[in-house]
Amino acid sequence: MPAVALQTSPEKPAPVRQIASAIAGWIDRLGAVWVEGQVAQLSRRPGMATVFLTLRDTVADISITVTAARSYVDGLATPLVEGASIVVHAKPSYYANRGTLSLQAREIRMVGLGELLARLEQRRQLLAAEGLFAADRKRDLPFLPRCVGLVTSPGSAAERDVLENARRRWPAVRFEVAAAAMQGTRCAPEVIEALERLDRHPEVDVVVVARGGGSVEDLLPFSDEGLVRVVHRMTTPVVSAIGHEQDAPLLDLVADVRASTPTDAAKLVVPDVAEELRGVEWARDRLRTLVRGTLEREQHALDALRSRPALADPRTLVAERVTELELLRDRARRTLGHRLDRASDDLAHQRARARALSPLETLRRGYAVLQDADGHVLTSVTGLAPGDPVSVRVAGGRVHATTARTEPDPDLSTDPSDPEEHDEQAG
Amino acid sequence: MSKQADASAESTSYEEAREELVDVVRRLEAGGTTLEESLALWERGEELARVCQRWLDGARARLDEVLSAEES
Repeated sequence: MPAVALQTSPEKPAPVRQIASAIAGWIDRLGAVWVEGQVAQLSRRPGMATVFLTLRDTVADISITVTAARSYVDGLATPLVEGASIVVHAKPSYYANRGTLSLQAREIRMVGLGELLARLEQRRQLLAAEGLFAADRKRDLPFLPRCVGLVTSPGSAAERDVLENARRRWPAVRFEVAAAAMQGTRCAPEVIEALERLDRHPEVDVVVVARGGGSVEDLLPFSDEGLVRVVHRMTTPVVSAIGHEQDAPLLDLVADVRASTPTDAAKLVVPDVAEELRGVEWARDRLRTLVRGTLEREQHALDALRSRPALADPRTLVAERVTELELLRDRARRTLGHRLDRASDDLAHQRARARALSPLETLRRGYAVLQDADGHVLTSVTGLAPGDPVSVRVAGGRVHATTARTEPDPDLSTDPSDPEEHDEQAG
Repeated sequence: MSKQADASAESTSYEEAREELVDVVRRLEAGGTTLEESLALWERGEELARVCQRWLDGARARLDEVLSAEES
């Protein structure tokens, strides 16, 4: 549309009516258009032929007044209610006298939530078929990220939740916040730009996309195909924290981790340092008690060993030997004593017997025993020649003599083997 | 118990020393050893007990050292 220049100047201003009609002319140029939006307000004043409603953009915070013939509105199959998404065929018109602009609706069609979701589902299946949501592509989050990238609308509750919770768990956490519209037509492109910037950032080890709750329409940009493909291509792991627990935009499926809420996202990206410290502390205490326990147990065992008499009091060893010794000595003495007694009895007995057998009594009765030089007893004179030395054993001693002559006695036989001879001697 | 055994008593591990000590006590209590052997056994026992005690004291010192380093 070529710009229609209106030559005006402070000296030659144009009257209001001229401006108004110029505006009206430009607006008419747009012609009838199909417009999609959400019914924000609906006013049907009784007796008025036209119905006024405010149509709000599905994503942006922009709205416009729409007028429709009451008869037409009343005749709609599904009644028009606030919050309904509709598609309107209307012609923009400018009311010069009040300087207001509104869309004159000729046709209104319902866009139910169902249709929106249907379109979303179709897109999900398409992207799923391409493998963008494959589980094996999910990456693990770093345990201790150097820097956490955060895509959110500045000053939002979501931003505060993520920052506060993360810092409470790990005060030293560093954030790189990338602001982006979290609603409306600008949302998808801005989030994409933020994601790509954070992905390039050398220090950012994980990126969180956080937004509070919203209607299906509000969260629609987070199912934007372009956004999903960007996340798919990113090298840095992405955590999706969009809306409440039950919301599941496509971003949830392509992200490496889905957090139910911004607070949950904070818990997933940074460890609870205080908890980790407690763990370390607990482990160290455990170590100490274990070592101390072992030491005490070993000490008790050693003390027990050392207190055993065998070690503690060696005298017992020797003492045992001493008592043993005394016992042995006593026994020895006793046995010796007995033996001596027996020996002396035996001796006396032997002596008596010896005495009885001994020739001493006989000698005492005056007999003598003749022995040759060699000590053999001579029982006959045969073999004895004068001059042979002999000794005579008498009771009191022994006489050494030399044989003067011998004189055999014919009637006494001197054969020693004659038993009769021998008995007489023994008597 | 030769002289060399005593010399090596220093380098034996705590477990070895303790095990031998248990054996010495057992043999002493079992008896049947000559007086000479009993005395030798007893001296060996004392030596082993000292070695074990040194190990335990050393360990406790190291533990206390860490603990006191922490308190200071």
